[in-house]
Amino acid sequence: MSSRAGPVQDVIERLPPAGVDEELRPLPSRWSESDKCSGLEVLLDGTEVRFQGVIKTSDEAAAVRSDHPMPRECGIYYFEVTILSKGKDPTLIGIGFSGPKVNLNRLPGWESESWAYHGDDGFSFACTASGKHYGPKFSTMDVIGCGVNFRTNTAFFTKNGNYLGEAFHSIKTEKLFPSVGMKKPGEHLRVNFGQTPFVYDIDSMMEVRSSDSDIENHYAGAFTDLFLQQERARIGAEIDRSTRRSKKEETALIQELVAQYLAHDGYVETARAFAQEVRDQRRQLGDDDALEAMDPAEDIHAINRQKIRTAILNGDIDRALKYLKSFYPHVLESDRNRDIYFKLRCRKFIEMMRRCNDLQTGASSQAMTDSTTSITSNGHTETKDDEADAGVFDHQMELDDQVQRESHAPSLEPVSIPPPLSTFDSPAPSDDPAESEAMDTTPDPAPTQPQPQPQPQDTKSSAMRHKQLLDKAIAYGQELQAEFSGDARSNYRKVLQDAFALLAYTDARGSVVGGLMEGRGRVEIAEEVNGAVMQSLGKPPSAAIEKCVAQTEVLLDMVQANGGEAALVDLRVYLR
Amino acid sequence: MSSSTISPPAAMEHSFDRLVERARPSKTDINFVIMDYLINEGYPSAAQKFAKEANIQPFADGEAIQERVDISSAIRSGDIQLAIERINELNPQLLDTDPHLHFSLLRLQLIELIRPIVSAPGPPSPTAFEPALEFATTQLAPRAPTSPAFLQDLERTMALLIFPPEKLTSQLKELLDLGLRQKIATTVNEAILHSQGERREARIRNLVRLRAWAEDKARQSDKDLNLPDKIELGLGSESPNNGAQDGDAMVA
Repeated sequence: MSSRAGPVQDVIERLPPAGVDEELRPLPSRWSESDKCSGLEVLLDGTEVRFQGVIKTSDEAAAVRSDHPMPRECGIYYFEVTILSKGKDPTLIGIGFSGPKVNLNRLPGWESESWAYHGDDGFSFACTASGKHYGPKFSTMDVIGCGVNFRTNTAFFTKNGNYLGEAFHSIKTEKLFPSVGMKKPGEHLRVNFGQTPFVYDIDSMMEVRSSDSDIENHYAGAFTDLFLQQERARIGAEIDRSTRRSKKEETALIQELVAQYLAHDGYVETARAFAQEVRDQRRQLGDDDALEAMDPAEDIHAINRQKIRTAILNGDIDRALKYLKSFYPHVLESDRNRDIYFKLRCRKFIEMMRRCNDLQTGASSQAMTDSTTSITSNGHTETKDDEADAGVFDHQMELDDQVQRESHAPSLEPVSIPPPLSTFDSPAPSDDPAESEAMDTTPDPAPTQPQPQPQPQDTKSSAMRHKQLLDKAIAYGQELQAEFSGDARSNYRKVLQDAFALLAYTDARGSVVGGLMEGRGRVEIAEEVNGAVMQSLGKPPSAAIEKCVAQTEVLLDMVQANGGEAALVDLRVYLR
Repeated sequence: MSSSTISPPAAMEHSFDRLVERARPSKTDINFVIMDYLINEGYPSAAQKFAKEANIQPFADGEAIQERVDISSAIRSGDIQLAIERINELNPQLLDTDPHLHFSLLRLQLIELIRPIVSAPGPPSPTAFEPALEFATTQLAPRAPTSPAFLQDLERTMALLIFPPEKLTSQLKELLDLGLRQKIATTVNEAILHSQGERREARIRNLVRLRAWAEDKARQSDKDLNLPDKIELGLGSESPNNGAQDGDAMVA
């Protein structure tokens, strides 16, 4: 019952591999969803295959091929299959490889252009239904490796990491796909096309490498990368095993590291939420050591720093400057922090230009959202943003009062500020109960009388408003220029020029300097300001987790200078 | 040893400390590691707040975290039946393809049936164990022969019924420790993450281990690297008594 592939398959066969350089063909990466017998289920992104169907006759079976053929150019190709099924012995499974047109209703090995090692008898089958004695039988939890050496046209198998010797020779077929076939319902296999370390030490076999073929070297290089990857994984596992902490101790240490970082860097609400969630967890485990240590201290500075950060992240630089001036007047006066002061001022200009730009191009805060995060804003954002436009520019003068009102009045009307970059369904900061609660404890910066807030002028036409915003931005730019262009510091002039270049574009966001408008800039400056405030408070500028990373970096540097396996450890991998 | 712990004058500060001072890890990296941890180990509310406060993308949908949190939470509160149901709703294949995980959940369920009886004061009535016995016979016994480890685990658990609580060996006491719930909850969380193509463990765990490993390697090195006797993180829990906790117990 030899198969003829249908015309459709023929057409597909002739198509060049899509988007892939002919010389660098892809390696097999998973079981094919289409090139399989119907009773087979391909699971877990093609790494597993399970047979659920029924076999009618004894010479019928169900087979599947990989998505790509093994490139002959690679020299040696190797993959491993783990038998997961709980089926009763003997396991009727064949592991091997076959050409693209071999019938998938048969076990590989039985048909021409197919070769395989069968688990029920340990025989090897080369393009014929009668097998030869080859190796041991295999069944549940065994790991069978299959290697094809395209230089010698031979193939071998491994069982649980042991080499079983050459199984086939004179393999000349052009396109060969890794293939498995099975006969019993419930049979279940997992494949490793190199994504995880192999059980068999293929490394030693790969050492003999010819240097006269660039292509082969390319694939050998790909394999070397693979082995390096495996080696890294092995060392990673060794490092994980080397820990002397119990999981419980480690958990406690990490919870402390995280809590300390959140408190240190002024992520007040995150710190609270985290402490609460840890408490809930421990309570379930009957661990009632009330965990007071986990509570972020009601640290007035943490709350102040959080306010400053939030203002900067919202693009409300004036507010941030006001907060800084009232809470930490010395920070920005210090010569050491002049850079930060300069960056904040420039950022304000960029935020003004951002508003002009978005009004001009009809983009709402949605555009800002798109450029920074993938979170979609809700329908209200646009109106909020319009008000915010008015808020920033019309009420600039009232900002002093706003800041001061906040420290007086526990309940506030929503203050007009630009919406956060990523909302995550959060209320505006001033609506936040935690924030108003925090306000009660905020020190009084300089009391004045609260003033009523003028209503946003909805009637003003968009063009008028754009003109007004632009004029204000230009006026502010001139201020900046006057204040900083004479500064001897090397990069100030360049930074100013880049920022002013925003004026030249109708759609500055899409321009070469558009990157300035992205939210990333806010995050960076927010962190710098936080660091400066921490320093002014005499606190360690970095949290324990940062120290942990820094120490690891230095220690790794020292160890890697000695060579050896440590050289394969890459800290970057641990950080992203 | 004690004389060497006197801190050196500021001018002679350890060159190691200066190197550490200079290596300024990026905030983006740290925030990434923190977010990774909050999501991986299931702190949805903190993750949500952190996304907002640090202005970073949560890179995982809240629902997916919540599903794992609900399962972990059910296990931690001893409702293993609910946990198993939730796992099956989430991924019907997970327990089928991981018999060890399935068995350890069922065994915990058995322990939870036994726990209230043995922890009650006074000798238990002979009928009190009936539900536990029935569960053991119907759910665990058929699985036990498939692995010697299963059999041993089942036998050990059944011993809880025989020994009076005050005479339990430390090995048996461990079974009744609520820490076992956390252990199983962690294993389940890791298995779910793995089945979803995610990392099993949060990066911060590997990072903490890497630091200890690198310190060990540095201390074993022949070269005189002039390391301080103790490398501290500056955490409250670091006291002279539990220095070993910090992974630097290798001081020669």
